[in-house]
Amino acid sequence: MITALTRTVAKLLFLPSLMIAVATLVKGYADVGDGFTAGVIAGLAVLLQVIVLGRDEVERMLPLRWAPRLAFAGIALALLDALAPLAFGQPVMTHLPPANVKPIHLGSLELLSAVVFDVGVFLLVFGFSVAAIDLLGRASPDRLP
Amino acid sequence: MGDALTLMAPIAIFWAGGIGVAAIDGWRGMTARGALVVHLAGFGALALLAARVLTSGPVGMIAGNWPAGVGIRFRADPLGIAFALLSSLVLIVAVAYEAIGGTPTRAFPALSLFLAAGLTGLFLTADAFNFYVFFELSMISAYVLTAFGGQPRQLRAAVIFAVVNLLGSVIFLLGIVALYHVTGSLDMTDIAQRMAFAEQNPAILSGTLLFVAFGVKLGLFPFHFWLPAVYTGVRPSIAAILSGALTNIGTYGLLRFGGEMLPRELSLAAPALALLGTASILYGAVQAIGRAAPDEVVAYSAIGQVGYVMIALAIGGAAGYGAAILFAIINALNKTLLFLAIDLRGAFVGPAVAIGALSVAGAPPAAGFFGKAALFRAGLTVGDGAERAALVALIAAGGALSLLYMFQAFGRRYLEPRAEERPASGRGRRRLVAVVALSLLVFGCWPEPLIALSERAAAVLPGRLP
Amino acid sequence: MTLVLSLAVAVLFGSGSYLLLQRDLVRVVGGVVLISSAATLFVMSASLTKGTAPILPLPNGQPVSDPLVQAMALTAIVITFGVSALLLALVYRVYVSHLSLDLEDLAAAEEQAEAVDEAMGGRLERAPMTAEERDEWAMR
Repeated sequence: MITALTRTVAKLLFLPSLMIAVATLVKGYADVGDGFTAGVIAGLAVLLQVIVLGRDEVERMLPLRWAPRLAFAGIALALLDALAPLAFGQPVMTHLPPANVKPIHLGSLELLSAVVFDVGVFLLVFGFSVAAIDLLGRASPDRLP
Repeated sequence: MGDALTLMAPIAIFWAGGIGVAAIDGWRGMTARGALVVHLAGFGALALLAARVLTSGPVGMIAGNWPAGVGIRFRADPLGIAFALLSSLVLIVAVAYEAIGGTPTRAFPALSLFLAAGLTGLFLTADAFNFYVFFELSMISAYVLTAFGGQPRQLRAAVIFAVVNLLGSVIFLLGIVALYHVTGSLDMTDIAQRMAFAEQNPAILSGTLLFVAFGVKLGLFPFHFWLPAVYTGVRPSIAAILSGALTNIGTYGLLRFGGEMLPRELSLAAPALALLGTASILYGAVQAIGRAAPDEVVAYSAIGQVGYVMIALAIGGAAGYGAAILFAIINALNKTLLFLAIDLRGAFVGPAVAIGALSVAGAPPAAGFFGKAALFRAGLTVGDGAERAALVALIAAGGALSLLYMFQAFGRRYLEPRAEERPASGRGRRRLVAVVALSLLVFGCWPEPLIALSERAAAVLPGRLP
Repeated sequence: MTLVLSLAVAVLFGSGSYLLLQRDLVRVVGGVVLISSAATLFVMSASLTKGTAPILPLPNGQPVSDPLVQAMALTAIVITFGVSALLLALVYRVYVSHLSLDLEDLAAAEEQAEAVDEAMGGRLERAPMTAEERDEWAMR
């Protein structure tokens, strides 16, 4: 049952959910949170919009068709970050800076190579789930060929 | 080059290439050729790694520079590298087959690369859970690949394949978790050491779970129910990939988890393995004889052929494991050739199928002879007279039956009066099939490299228990 | 606790198997998801130690829970997530091309298509593939 109330609430919830997702991503290094969770939260935010407002209306607000490209960018970024240490003769996924060196802080964000990996994971999960939602959101009977 | 780079280069090439090929949209001719180039580059990297492993011993690396026991360990030893080379080779042939024919979608080339990344990763990892992750990577690619084509047959095959193998994957995960619960480690070497002191019942339970999971992948007799519908439903190149590359997971998994980590349980299960292997051989052969369509004959023959691997595993010891590896390698090449060739028409194809048929039956000029011969020799190292006689009878009967069904199908396909009237297939595909058949003949005349590789690979595993 | 966990795993696995045996494809997907959840729960129950969260700094003298099973469970969840999306896409593809979610109907359509195929003397042109539901396993 979709009423004016649910539509309003859904629209109101969208930006705060994205903010929570980004917060989960950023604080993952000192507290609970990581890229995957953040991607799922952001994906759920889009899912709520698609369910309540319908795919067509959401597509006017958000470029859903870009989601696969986002996923590609994410996996490429994560893979690059994981493989980059190989170029310096180190095993894959080696942290930079190493464990006993204090990283540079930007507020509560620590600058680690692992953060890049997690951002890649976030983009991948977000892009993938939005693409899947988009695909399945098109699955209504009146759209069949 | 550093250890880490040599070890990870094949996985990195396949994975990055897969992403690259998936990202270029619209240039259809390019994707298949590009994927073929990446496959060849990855195979080259694997060959480099193999040369290094075979000359100066295993190569290892722990991800993230973590201390041993904390980080995820990768390592290349002859056993893993043999299967990685084989799977990569089969994928090259299958992708070349599609590239020559003009691949219709961009999904197939990219997925074949993701599949290669998954397979290479699982053959080169020394961490049981990482094995599961790469295993799922290759299985997910395979689920999408089976749907390739989008016809009702293919969709149905994909649904059956995905559901059955997902169940298999869940059982495999349960087995790995059980191993972790018993030993408190995920590193394969640690598990192998600690399993020797584990209580017997949990060890047998974990072993059974793993055996069921790999049995499903292999299409071994009681778990074969999904195999014919899938292998006959999918396109020939996909069938070649499934039976030539994906089946290796089952053989390798049984050798690695059974032979290395649970040797006590494997020797305990030897009679059951021998029984299931025999049932598989006879069931596959009898079913294949009763089938008219050539692709069904080859699919049932695949069920029969894994039976020989089980027999070899039941024999155990260096000779048995060596025979299992050699047989698995030759069988993968046979199946690749037959699934690709069975759909073609024209010059070269008839002889190519005949060579494949001879190889399946284990007749001399083809490589299959040495697979059976190794099994035979291994059989003579164990057991009393009656057991040996039973083994000889089984191999002889299995060979005779496979000769019968292969040439029944061959005759129906190529010797029937109207066969000449059908239009011939493209020249490129026929040449490709001819090259594969020729390589089987070459290995049939000069099997020493394969035999040496399988012996080196088997030497990784502990010998027969006292 | 062990009893409760094993009961939960058993019930999840049992209901999953029941759904898996249905003819309706959406129920089959539901069954796969339930069985995967059972496996995840089993992973969690295999943990070696139980205690507080294993995040530095560690509390003195208190046992920490085994972080490895949680990493494994998370990985299993991620894989299940990807696989269910893939299966749903596959089922959607089946629905689009057959307007049915029944595997038996699919088999019937297959026979029909084969008859047509035979009559036309060659393989029909293939339809385009589904979307790219494959890129997500990579994360951990």
